[in-house]
Amino acid sequence: MWVYDKKTQYPINIKRSDPRMAKLILTQYGGPNGELAASLRYLSQRYAMPNKESKAILTDVGTEELAHFEMVGTIVSQLVKDVPPEELEKWGYGPVYAIHGKGVFPSDSNGVPFTAAYIESMSDPITNLNEDLAAEQKARSTYEFLINMCDDPDVIDPLRFLRAREIVHYQRFGEALRIVQELLGSRKFWPNDKVHRTQNIISPDMMRSGNMKPEMNMKPEMNMKPEMKPEKKPDMYMMPEVMSMPKPTNPTQMNNMK
Amino acid sequence: MDDQQELLEQIRAVDFVLVDLGLFLDTHPADQNALRDFKTLADTHERLTKQYESKYGPLKMMHGATDNCWLWINDPWPWDKKKGGMANVGL
Repeated sequence: MWVYDKKTQYPINIKRSDPRMAKLILTQYGGPNGELAASLRYLSQRYAMPNKESKAILTDVGTEELAHFEMVGTIVSQLVKDVPPEELEKWGYGPVYAIHGKGVFPSDSNGVPFTAAYIESMSDPITNLNEDLAAEQKARSTYEFLINMCDDPDVIDPLRFLRAREIVHYQRFGEALRIVQELLGSRKFWPNDKVHRTQNIISPDMMRSGNMKPEMNMKPEMNMKPEMKPEKKPDMYMMPEVMSMPKPTNPTQMNNMK
Repeated sequence: MDDQQELLEQIRAVDFVLVDLGLFLDTHPADQNALRDFKTLADTHERLTKQYESKYGPLKMMHGATDNCWLWINDPWPWDKKKGGMANVGL
């Protein structure tokens, strides 16, 4: 559930119209590295998160991205307000005006409509968090490109704020990734095949598919001769008992996994 | 800046620190200094919001009603641009 605050997260007071900049900035509204994509990505990925820190950070960053979505929409709408159509056309906003008038439509700067194909949401939290780190960097770069093309301090100021937030989000996602990796690598946690993949162990799911065999396991100890194997087997070699395992041909390997 | 804008700027600043500190606490839930700061600022935020809303209207929908008037819908909305460029600072 969400509640609206009747204010922008950062003040936006644009005094000078600039349709050229409006069209460029539009990409952060509904483009591939934009705020809408960011918000939907994080809010959708939450359901795959295995611990409280990562659930919280995706919820709260996803929520902040909605505030940024509003900021970008506010910037674009103010930049074209009171500009006559012939001026819009002269400064490159004509193609947008022809389709949407001065409506703020989620698209990139070329007018390509927003699509969920910009985002991914998988069952693997490691995969998701790595995508999120990349997304924050892509958004930071985009804000830098936009600032490079802008000469109005009233516009540059909020763009710089948004750029700075990408860096903070990147930092927090990095911490969340570290926490999740430690959790999945710990002996306390047996969610599903993700833990096996993190530790380069062939998971029951992967074996069930028939493409992977236990003896292909990437843990070096698993391929050692029995006499070379360490006496005490770490817990991480244990497979959850509920999972049905194909019967290994070599009984020693079965023992290793129990 | 008039009193309304100044008050809103203060709320925004406190709001921002709370958001940022909140993200920090998400990945550092046991940081005692951050917890202490968060609690202090949350109180400040509540006090400033009450002060602002009593004078200039609701910032949250749940504070939008009087006995006979639905104040929530009143202009300006955050994206509204005013003449002279003082866009959306009113609210």
